[in-house]
Amino acid sequence: MESFRYVRAQDGAHAITFARRAKTAQQGADIRYIAGGTTLVDLMKLDVERPQTLIDITHLPLTEVKAAPGGGVEIGAMVRNSDLAHHPLIQRDYPVLSEALLSGASAQLRNKATTGGNLLQRTRCMYFRDVAMPCNKREPARAAARSPASIARWLSSAAASTASRPTPRT
Amino acid sequence: MSPSDADRRPCGVPGLTSRRGFLRQIGLAGAAAAAPDSAGPAERPENYIPARATPVSLRVNGAPHNLQLDSRTTLLDALREHLHLTGTKKGCDHGQCGACTVHINGRRINACLCLAVMHDGDQITTIEGLGTPEKLHPMQAAFLASDAYQCGYCTPGQIMSATALMKEPCGPTNAAVKEAMSGNICRCGAYVNIPEAIQTVRKAG
Repeated sequence: MESFRYVRAQDGAHAITFARRAKTAQQGADIRYIAGGTTLVDLMKLDVERPQTLIDITHLPLTEVKAAPGGGVEIGAMVRNSDLAHHPLIQRDYPVLSEALLSGASAQLRNKATTGGNLLQRTRCMYFRDVAMPCNKREPARAAARSPASIARWLSSAAASTASRPTPRT
Repeated sequence: MSPSDADRRPCGVPGLTSRRGFLRQIGLAGAAAAAPDSAGPAERPENYIPARATPVSLRVNGAPHNLQLDSRTTLLDALREHLHLTGTKKGCDHGQCGACTVHINGRRINACLCLAVMHDGDQITTIEGLGTPEKLHPMQAAFLASDAYQCGYCTPGQIMSATALMKEPCGPTNAAVKEAMSGNICRCGAYVNIPEAIQTVRKAG
């Protein structure tokens, strides 16, 4: 894992100031927000993610689950998967969501993973996760360096896939 | 002390020759022998940032610890390498096997995916904090009674998971227990006896 600077965000405004300094929010960003870390720490260990600054947002007050005024439900970005799955409102009105959450990962990971982080999860594609393998999603520059014909071939094929449907090598 | 006594001694007892101490000595001797070949500066990437020590306060099994850690240190490595609490095991180191399961503020979590700096001020419970060889936690006693292990490497994680499960919503059936314990992998295959041990404790409680 690459060395990084650790910052614990004091509030939302403090956390956002760092995003302004980031060159990009895409793959290869030098600043990353961390919540549960079940994806990010994993990818940092694999050298797929190499942020220079890590902003810890787990202490921000975004842990509420409440009925939205116009219908629907508002879920705080820092609500843990296990808390969401067992929340009375979710169990009563959104049982499929509860069941889906409890079908994912393990009890230990659900205690760590957050709703916000879950939406920002990276692909589980095995090529993306292995820096020894070529991957156009992880290193788009490689695709740009190729001929137009090979780029066209790449665009017509999957840039990333699930672990159960590996990306064809281009 | 006979070798069999040494084998039974719990992990992390300092000051005595143990299997761990013996292996460490062997390792040091090996490293010294290999040193002349591996001398020379390691290559570092352009954006290398020197490791910075960050102060971290952890409350582990009730005792406060003030550490200075590289921000990259996982909670698992902080426990094992800095506090020498080696009961918590490193299996896959990617959150898949559950061998590193500990309780953070009472909830079970994979310590290998936690950065220690993120848990400054948190309460951590490890297998060492659950019971002692003289006074086992009921779950530890049940694992012994049910023979719920073979090699024992996954056992601390299994037991930490099982004790946390007692406070979680979990149906009464064996199937529900198996599902709740699915984050703990056992390579030996003690899967029949693990739910049995857990159900024994649940029925007693």
